[in-house]
Amino acid sequence: MTSTDRKVNYRPFTFFGGKGGTGKTSCAAAYALALAAQGARTLMVSTDPAHSLADAYGAEIGFEVVKLEENLWGIEIDPEVEAKKYMKGIQEKMLHIVSAAIVDEIKRQIEIAYTSPGAEEAAIFDKFIELMESLGERFDAIVFDTAPTGHTLRLLTLPEILGTWIEHLIEKRKKAMHMMKMAARYDSVLAEKIEEDPILDTLTARRDKFDLARKILTDPERSVFHFVLNAEKLPILETARALELLRNHGIATGGLVVNKILPPEAGPFFEKRREAQEEYLQDIRSRFAGRKILEIPLLDSDIQGREQLIRLSPLFADLDG
Amino acid sequence: MKKDRSALSKIWEFLCLFHHGTFVDKRMAVVRKEAYDINDNLMMLLFGDFLGIPNPISYYMLELLPYMAEDLVPWQRRMQNRKFIIAEKAAQYDFD
Repeated sequence: MTSTDRKVNYRPFTFFGGKGGTGKTSCAAAYALALAAQGARTLMVSTDPAHSLADAYGAEIGFEVVKLEENLWGIEIDPEVEAKKYMKGIQEKMLHIVSAAIVDEIKRQIEIAYTSPGAEEAAIFDKFIELMESLGERFDAIVFDTAPTGHTLRLLTLPEILGTWIEHLIEKRKKAMHMMKMAARYDSVLAEKIEEDPILDTLTARRDKFDLARKILTDPERSVFHFVLNAEKLPILETARALELLRNHGIATGGLVVNKILPPEAGPFFEKRREAQEEYLQDIRSRFAGRKILEIPLLDSDIQGREQLIRLSPLFADLDG
Repeated sequence: MKKDRSALSKIWEFLCLFHHGTFVDKRMAVVRKEAYDINDNLMMLLFGDFLGIPNPISYYMLELLPYMAEDLVPWQRRMQNRKFIIAEKAAQYDFD
């Protein structure tokens, strides 16, 4: 790296999002490399079930955190592995508390919940919180390469929606316990049974986790969401919508990376496309005025492997302003 | 003197039991029934998907299973055998 490099004024949690195929993964990896180069212990996380981080970086990255180079770690979250771990923990706990016969009886129902819609997201989200909690001890910064927009927005708005739901459950349980206590005034057996309530404890612990995630995600000092797009109509519209939605949920949005811009030397064949592109670039500049806009030209080959990412990474110093 | 005391304590014990049987037991049964009903409803919110009602956080609710597993099968049976909600409710009130 050259001496003219500026230090990146990074936040602990940086997300890269955008429409599929715009180059999120390359941008996230290049950004992570920029942070690692200035000495921040950085973790790259891919939350997209269809992972491509390993391909972009050009090294094996699995579902466990691996060290890639000085100051840089990587992980590709595998929802299936995470869900299995979760289930195993529950089953072990269950064997301690209830009889094997009962475990057997409800096994089928466990399977149903385990394959229910949302289970995958929930599993990713759990790992997500676990990684967030590990900040400070092992890492200074975590860079998330997220799945295409829709999936990610659902993931990030999860704590808000589920938090409300779980709050209701806690209320209901408290009410039931209150009634139980009244009924137990003359019933010592019942009174002993409700002395401590693991159900309330579990629900509260879960709510606290959601609260923590929500606090981190909505704190502009700690989290920021950058969008990657191309100078084309659909990515622009999708980005505008996503920015609006994140704002509604109180998640701070940062800069835009306009990727794969056709350079003038592209030749006469692309002349018409370049004209259209110029219009879209104008549109981006006026529509998203006030934001950092980083323009990255289309290169003569795919951005692949560490060497090419390193070439890109100094550009990202400007993204955080 | 001693005899008097034992007779007195017998009367006291009788009074206690009489009070309990006449005023407390029945009322407490009603309260307990109410508490169990609330808990049944809570189970519905937690594990509704076991009965075919979608639950947005069924995955997270699995971690409550170890503590509720014992109740789960009887609960399912109760829910599936419900016939008259009105009769169920009416049973809570004391008509005698």
